Amino acid sequence: MNSSEAMSEASRREVRAELEPSLARLWRYALVLSKARDVADDLVQATCLRAIERADQFVPGTRVDRWLFAILRSIWLNEIRSRRIREGGGFVDAEETLTTDGAHEIEMNITASAVLRAIDRLPEAQRETVLLVYGEGYSYAEAAAALGVPIGTIMSRLASGRAALAKLK
Amino acid sequence: MFDDDAQLVALIDNELDNSSKTALLARLAADEDLRRRYEELRLTGAPLATSFDLLLGDAPLARLRAALPPEDAAARVQPRRFAFRNLAAAFVIGALAAGAAIWAASTFGLFDGRDDWRTAIAEYTHLYTDETFAPFKPDAAMQATELSAVGAKVGANLTPENLTLPGLRFTTAFMLSYEGAPLGVIAYVDPSGEPVLLCILVDQAPDAPTRSERRGDLSLAWWARGGRSRLVIGRIPEERAVALAQTLEKRI
Repeated sequence: MNSSEAMSEASRREVRAELEPSLARLWRYALVLSKARDVADDLVQATCLRAIERADQFVPGTRVDRWLFAILRSIWLNEIRSRRIREGGGFVDAEETLTTDGAHEIEMNITASAVLRAIDRLPEAQRETVLLVYGEGYSYAEAAAALGVPIGTIMSRLASGRAALAKLK
Repeated sequence: MFDDDAQLVALIDNELDNSSKTALLARLAADEDLRRRYEELRLTGAPLATSFDLLLGDAPLARLRAALPPEDAAARVQPRRFAFRNLAAAFVIGALAAGAAIWAASTFGLFDGRDDWRTAIAEYTHLYTDETFAPFKPDAAMQATELSAVGAKVGANLTPENLTLPGLRFTTAFMLSYEGAPLGVIAYVDPSGEPVLLCILVDQAPDAPTRSERRGDLSLAWWARGGRSRLVIGRIPEERAVALAQTLEKRI
């Protein structure tokens, strides 16, 4: 095995090892983007398949989860979302798409369900940014690079998201 | 949402630079209404994180695990088993994965001089689609503000007037970095939404005339002046990239 083949094998192993531990987070990202659980399921499956197909292009030592997120987002933007828009329907905002079981009363004396409903009502770009920064721990700079927007846009989206939540009190 | 919300949230998230932080803290000390708003926004942090954590528990893990391709899938995977095969343009598949990998490498500093900045930019440009920048339609004031901010970071006079390009619409300007050097990006789209980027890297490069090349489906035209390298890149004909570069070379 030459060095290139060894690197490809290392990439495949690393990607494969991280797929299963990343499933729940990929699904959450897919759900926040699509607001549809069936689409989220399919989007995660497509992401995993794409990652395995292209695992030899992953650079060992970099973060697999961020790479998977970038793949998921691109499949969403390039294939699923754009297809639905082309078909004329766009996405119908189902009520309470982002929900969770149980009341889970949390800080501010509101419930997790109320918070998720508020997130649900945010525009897609805000939902995505809020998830990446507050759910996934991206720095502002990382979120800006991942989403291809200025840091000022990240700041504005996060502030809008938090302002919407602040009204829940 | 109030005018100061973005700054307050950035302060809460510890994302303000020192001078902005100092200035905002001084205002907070003197302004009770601002302190009240800060507290309102601060209190939303924990519920957000908690709610997202709870959402993880709803993931249908058994179903998702069952759908994972088998261990040796890389060698024998049959994409028709998945619903999205017919939606995927082949070039997107290749560009996506390659671009994502190199984007990750560049983002996390793995190039380390083994490759040049044009390669880094070319590889993440593969990730941009006709939908990435097209939704951005800034008004004149926003355009001027964004350009001014990026111009200040890269030491160039960037205005809507000197960056107007024929057949292209300005969408946004933002900062990245390459090996610690400021890298300003001005993103345009053509009428179909296809991105064309002007990148300015503060690298102290010696002055150099415009050169060009093709990398896959991307055309690149670059030059250097005043210690800054400039690059025009996009899925456009090479001669158009050169023409855009020469137009810009005279102005900035």
